[in-house]
Amino acid sequence: MNGNNPVFQIFFQCALDTREEAYAFISRLASREERGQKEVNRQLKEREKAGSLFISEHVILPHVESQWIQTSRIIFIRPKRPIVSWNGSNQHVYLLVCVLLKENESVQIKRKIASFIRALADEKLVNRLINVDEKEKFIQKIPKIQEGLE
Amino acid sequence: MKIVCVTACTVGIAHTYIAQEKLENAGKKAGHEIHIETQGTIGIENELTQQQIDEADIVILAADVSVSGRERFNGKTIIQVGTEVAVKSPNKLIKKAEEIVNQKK
Repeated sequence: MNGNNPVFQIFFQCALDTREEAYAFISRLASREERGQKEVNRQLKEREKAGSLFISEHVILPHVESQWIQTSRIIFIRPKRPIVSWNGSNQHVYLLVCVLLKENESVQIKRKIASFIRALADEKLVNRLINVDEKEKFIQKIPKIQEGLE
Repeated sequence: MKIVCVTACTVGIAHTYIAQEKLENAGKKAGHEIHIETQGTIGIENELTQQQIDEADIVILAADVSVSGRERFNGKTIIQVGTEVAVKSPNKLIKKAEEIVNQKK
């Protein structure tokens, strides 16, 4: 890991069929401790109550800042099948881009995460990401991801 | 048209910045001058100047939390929405701003 960059992780073909399974998976990535996983899971759901996580038609951006997170990271999750009717909506999720932010993270890392998030405002980029079937091709389509890939 | 915006969300690392980018792109695409202040976990960035606020035809506050320094916009025409609206429908939001400004003329 490069200490000056957030860590990126990519999970392809994940067997996640529901929101609950997706949040449990993210929580396990966030913390090894059961207490930490429960807290992150709760925080993820709390954030979603404040507003929709969708950033385009089939892409959501769950994110959380927590003392239980050891390393800040951006995680891409491509479920094996779309997660249908996310949170009771009529929208299906093809891609999850998760931001896990550790408490008291450096401004430098936060700026890099923010910069990457801005890139996701590009609908063309997001559409390319949801249409790629291979992990290697996926990586190639994401700007600057290679330098922080774990 | 001159637009000033503030974006802010609860965690301040995701929707704050994606809303900023989408609004900026939508505003420029529609041919407007747009300045956007972000109030995120990094703190306040691109802080709006008094001149930018004074000259603005309309203020867009795309925020899920209280906007710091809201009193700066007293007396201005304000559209207040959640970040969700700015992320999902930035072009519609700019269009709405245009309509409101045009109605006032």
